[in-house]
Formats: sequence, C-alpha cells, structure tokens
Amino acid sequence: MATTDIGPKNPAVKAGEAAFDYVDKRTGVKTGAKWFMFRNIPAETSWFQTLGFTAMALFGMQAITGIILAMYYKPDPNSAFQSVEVITNEVTWGWLVRGMHKWGASAMIVVVFLHLGRVFFFGSYKYPRELTWVTGAILLIMTMFMGLTGYLLVWDQKAYWATVVAVNITASAPIIGPYIADILRAGPEFGPETLSRFYSIHMLVIPGGMATFIGLHLFLISKLGIAEPPYSKRRMAVERAEEEARRAAENERLPYGRREVPAVAPATPEPQKVEGAS
Amino acid sequence: MNRGQQEYYKRDYAQAKLEGKPFFPYAVYKDLLIATLAIGLVIGMAIWHRVEIGEPVNPASTDFVPRPEWYFFFLFELLKIFKGQNVFMPVIMATFIVPNILMVLLIATPFIDRGPERRIQKRPIALFTGIAVIAFLAYMTHLGASSNEGVGSEGLPLTGLDEKGQAGADLFLANGCTACHNVAGVGAPGPGPNLTNLGSQGQTPQYWGEFIQDPPGGVMPSFTTFTPQQYDEIGTFLAGLGTTYK
Ligand code: HEM
Repeated sequence: MATTDIGPKNPAVKAGEAAFDYVDKRTGVKTGAKWFMFRNIPAETSWFQTLGFTAMALFGMQAITGIILAMYYKPDPNSAFQSVEVITNEVTWGWLVRGMHKWGASAMIVVVFLHLGRVFFFGSYKYPRELTWVTGAILLIMTMFMGLTGYLLVWDQKAYWATVVAVNITASAPIIGPYIADILRAGPEFGPETLSRFYSIHMLVIPGGMATFIGLHLFLISKLGIAEPPYSKRRMAVERAEEEARRAAENERLPYGRREVPAVAPATPEPQKVEGAS
Repeated sequence: MNRGQQEYYKRDYAQAKLEGKPFFPYAVYKDLLIATLAIGLVIGMAIWHRVEIGEPVNPASTDFVPRPEWYFFFLFELLKIFKGQNVFMPVIMATFIVPNILMVLLIATPFIDRGPERRIQKRPIALFTGIAVIAFLAYMTHLGASSNEGVGSEGLPLTGLDEKGQAGADLFLANGCTACHNVAGVGAPGPGPNLTNLGSQGQTPQYWGEFIQDPPGGVMPSFTTFTPQQYDEIGTFLAGLGTTYK
C-alpha cells in the first residue's frame, strides 16, 4: 500500500475509492466482477459460442422496448386495438419501438434455436453441464410462450382467433387442460378479463420466470466454465498423444520380434510377406 | 459417462482453462460484436418492414383466418396431420401427445445421451437425430407458411344448392370455416376434417346447428352469434353435403 502512495491524491478520487471499498468490503462485488471478467476460459472459443449472449441481449432489448410499449398500451378490449394504432401511427418513434419488439421476438426465437443447435452439436450438454441444458430448455419453452401471449395483445382478428384456437387446444388436454384453459381465459369464455390476464402473463409472469432462469443458466455457466469446442487444437493434440501412447503401450506389451494375429482386422493392414513367389 | 470418464473430463477441462485466455476481452469482444449485429438486424428489419395492424377484434364476426406466429406453424401443421380421421390419427396426438413428447425429449436430452464423445462426427445417432429434427421443423414450418389463406371467395363448386343451401354455403364461406375445413376441394386441408361428404353421416340440420354452437373435441371455436334462422340454414347446408349438395 505504502509503496504505491507516492503523492497526495485528489480528494474526490479518494472519496470515490473509499466508497468503492466500502461496498466491496460488504458485498464482494468488485472481487466478484473481477473474477467473472478475468477468469480463464479455454483458449479457443468458437463464434457459435456467442449465440447465448446474443439471445440474452435480445431478451434485454425486448424488455426495454416492452417497457416503452407498456407506457402507451391499454389492456382493455375497448381500447387495446386503438392504443396499438396510436403507438404505430402517432407516438414519436412508436412504429420503430413496436417493430423492434415484433421483429425482436422472431429474432430471439431464431437465435435461441441456433444456440440450442450449437450446444447440441458441440456436445456441450454432457457432464457436468446437464442442468445448464435443462434450465436452457425451460427458457426456450418460456420464450415460445412469450410469443403466444404477446400475439393476443394487438387485439386484431388474426391474433384473437389464433389464440382462441390455442386456448381451445389447451382445454382439450386430459385432466388439467380445462383448468389451465379457465385460468388463461379468466373464466369459461373469452372475455374482457382474458386480455388483461394475457397482458399480465406476458409482461410479468413469464419475464419474471425468464429472468430467474437466465440467472440460474448464467450461474451454472460461470461456475462450470464454458465448454471447449470438441475440435479445438489443444483437444486434437491431446487426442493424438493419447492415441500414440496407447499404440506404444500395446507394442511394448508384445514380446520383441513377434506379432500376435489380431482378433479383428487391424486398421492399417500389416505388410504382407510374399513367400511363395521368391 | 462413468466415474472415470467424468474425472478425465474434469482434469482435461482444468488443463484447457490453465492454457486458456481471460474471458475479458477474448470472448467478450466476440459476444458484443455478434449481439450488436443481431440488434442492428432487428432495427433494420423494423425500418424496412413496417409493422402492420390488422382488423380490430370482433368476436361476433368469425370472418377470420386463425394463423399463429410462424414459429408455431410446426405445431399448427400437426393438427392437419392428426385430425381424427380414424383411431390411429386422434386429434389428441397433435394437441397433446406429440408436443409433450417433444418437450420431454428436449429437456431430457442430456440424460438420454450420456456418452463421453463430444465430436459430432463420432456421434452418429446424435448427428442423425439433430438433422432429422431440423429437417422436420423446417419442413413443417414451410408447409405452414405456404398453406393457402383466403380460400373460397369464388364460392363452392356444388350443384343442387337450393335457397336454404345457398344461404348456408354463404354463411360457411363468410365465417371463415374454409380456414380449417375443405369442401369439394375448396378450403384448407386442415386442421379440421374434410366436410365434402358430411351429409352421409345422416344427421339432421338441428344437430349441426347445435354442433357448431359448442363443437365437441374443443379445438374448433364456437359459433354462438347466429340467428335461429341462420343456424337452420347452415345446418341444412351441412346436413346435405355430399348427398343433396355435391
Ligand atoms: C432465452 C434463452 C437462452 C439464453 C439467454 C441463454 C444464454 C446462454 C449464455 C449466455 C451461454 C454462454 C455460452 C454461449 O453463449 O454459448 C449459454 C450456454 C449454454 N446454454 Fe443457453 N441460453 C438460452 C437458451 C438455451 C437453450 C434453449 C438451451 C438448450 C436446451 C441452452 C443450453 C445451454 C448450455 C448447455 C450451455 C453451456 C454451454 C457451454 O458451456 O459450452 N440454453 N446460454
């Protein structure tokens, strides 16, 4: 400490540092952030490993544009459609925010599916990352339910009737189906309450669940470390070295000068002695 | 993976990290770049393809085409495959069984595939499954995207339509029944069953009039806003399909 203190510090800087230290001593946030940012990850990570973060960024964008839309949207059957019209045609940049929210939903589905694909083809769901996959799969399902519940809010014919069909489908599920459908509809029929129920599910229930599960997902990812791509140079070298060591061990076990006839055909055929010909 | 393979993986991964690089900036810059590109693309699409707004909801008018968002097309198409033609194709396959099997398989993947191999070219089953799922989803989504929407505006190619039958046919077209049902080649091939020969079931017009007020099976929307005369007209129309009107 003393050796780096080579002169009087600006009191503002001192106060700032003291405040940081105060918080860090009590929360460990500085240490934690430092660990998170500067922890080692495998040297070679693929561009495909950016898709999870991209999904998260899109989720953030949906949250922000969604908050702005909520400032103008009216979840009431008599004014919902009109308020969407106002957002689209009158509110400054309203068409852009609504467009971003709409395209963002599709983009998020695409990116989450691509992310799933990369995790699948990299085998990154294998030990010890099984539970990371499970939290991710639940996130995918929640993302799709966001699309389903948000579709109704525009309150236009196409969305309304598609949602009627979707809820009817839910109701046809055995045993609990009718109860879930009643909860979704806020009663036995589609009515004024249905819209506000979908609104609250779309902007409170599912986003809350998603934030929680993104938290769990991230906790597991940073605890376990991001998987190394299975074809990384380091991994290939290890694989080659292991293969060589295995061969060498096999050779050593055999008495000098004699070769056993392998039970199955060897991968590389032994050179054949042509005896009869000479 | 057995215990030894797990230990091996842990040791190997620790080595990878030891020879690794810090998360910041080596992974962060990639993440930020791709995420920025994605958001830029979304903004671009929002500007390029202005959002539209359709007709306001009118629960009394069922003049609609119930189309979900494109990412539900694959489920929607399932309804067209399993529409209760016979005992082997029950509707519940599309509404409940297949989606739930898919969901359970998705969540359970890491517990089904527990082998230690991570290189895809050495995991033939995973490779095949992955490609099959992608092909299935792509095909079903394509089907959903290219299925015809506003069908039947030209009228139904039926003969023998009397006054009542014609009124029923008009109601049938005006209320979007063709969005889910096919009659004599007009209308979507599903999700609902083909109604061309509905009359051969021998039910009365009253039966069909009541049927559409509360369709069993739950998937089809109820049509509760017709006048008694209209129920009679559409009931007569449905009861005569394939027998009187063909
Ligand atoms: C809203 C959806 C999701 C978000 C925000 C998200 C976020 C992330 C992030 C930021 C990572 C870090 C590495 C990377 O970017 O590839 C990651 C890794 C991972 N994700 Fe997701 N994810 C989502 C959905 C999913 C889905 C649907 C699955 C699979 C069913 C999944 C399974 C995994 C697994 C197993 C890892 C660890 C991979 C590794 O360590 O290499 N995630 N996720």
